Amino acid sequence: MIGIENISKSYGDIKSLAEINAAIGSGSIYGLIGSNGSGKSTLLRIMSGIMRPDSGKITYDGKPVYENPEVKETVVYLSDEQFFLPNSTVDEMAYLYSSLYPSFSKIRYNELIKLFGLEGSRKISTFSKGMKKQASILLGLACYPKYLLCDETFDGLDPVMRQFVKKLLAEEVVERGLTPVIASHNLREIEDICDHIGLLHKGGILFESEIDALKAEIHTVQGVFGEEKSIGEIFAGYHIVSETKRGSLTTAVIRGDRKAIEDAAKAADPKYFEIIPLTLEEIFISEMEERGYDYSNVVF
Amino acid sequence: MSIIMVDVKSRIPIYEQIIASVKDAVLSGLLSADEALPSVRALAGELAINPNTIQKAYSELERQGIVYSVPGRGSFISSDTAGIEKQHRSQLLNDLEALIREAVRSGIDPIDIKTLISKIQEDDKR
Repeated sequence: MIGIENISKSYGDIKSLAEINAAIGSGSIYGLIGSNGSGKSTLLRIMSGIMRPDSGKITYDGKPVYENPEVKETVVYLSDEQFFLPNSTVDEMAYLYSSLYPSFSKIRYNELIKLFGLEGSRKISTFSKGMKKQASILLGLACYPKYLLCDETFDGLDPVMRQFVKKLLAEEVVERGLTPVIASHNLREIEDICDHIGLLHKGGILFESEIDALKAEIHTVQGVFGEEKSIGEIFAGYHIVSETKRGSLTTAVIRGDRKAIEDAAKAADPKYFEIIPLTLEEIFISEMEERGYDYSNVVF
Repeated sequence: MSIIMVDVKSRIPIYEQIIASVKDAVLSGLLSADEALPSVRALAGELAINPNTIQKAYSELERQGIVYSVPGRGSFISSDTAGIEKQHRSQLLNDLEALIREAVRSGIDPIDIKTLISKIQEDDKR
């Protein structure tokens, strides 16, 4: 488990992170969503143990990571800007990684090099942007980390490669309980692979939740309910997030169990009605609006 | 083509899609009793979706008695699929009720509906 406790960080007078708290369970795939400048990269850098927070601490299975090689050996951080030694080949970088990570596997490295279709003996400086990204991912996976911190890892990969990397991650999660944390500004990009999502906004986690639970507790009801009863009366006892009426058609976003909402709607004997699940993006928008934020300030 | 299909762009939660997919496969005879479901690992790798979501769907299917699991070997379709067939029938009845109500509301004479049912019964006898 990764514990994020009261993490704050400022760069001069720019406050990047303000008292962040979160717990990330092992074996889960955690998505960290936020717009540019929301503090994602700073949080990941602090989580990797290379940057010191102004206050608070990061722990892995209870042990602090900062200045702690024993814990750092289990964590791989895939930076948005990959670093390779000047003039090095992938094989040479693999040698460097193998000296830093005791769990590094040469066998796995050779397997991954083949899977990605890269040449280990080629100089990385001759690689394209996407190939450099692939090289950093495969080097990271060959270290067999317990925790993988990915900063915009899918950015710059073509759709086929993106899907391939997601498959690799999913397999590692099942096979050996890898815990990936994936930071991205694009919700749609990572919602299929993550099971938990945290939304970072202006240096704070606005909210976090399990995706399936989020989807199960909010629904859109669309129907023609007549004039006798208001939506508030039909769905008394439920939290009605929003309600719009176009002609005779009412659309309402309501919190609650699907079956219960369906029964309440049926009891009102509508001419027509249906229950539509919300997309994750719509859920985020309504969650944020309820917290008094304007979603248009946050890029998905 | 796989037995279990998922549309990640859909509004319907992925784990619900997996559950529905397995039920459909059983009803259509694509999966029969004691047949193995794809392993969580294989399915997660194939669909590039979260393995925990798949595990959750399989657990729910087990809770509903549609599959049983053998530790270390995986999940299998129950030999007794009467439950799911019963569920399917009650779902069909529900849909039918809604459709008939709509038909009556739109001015179709209930007598015509009864005639239709008799006609279908006659056709079946032949």
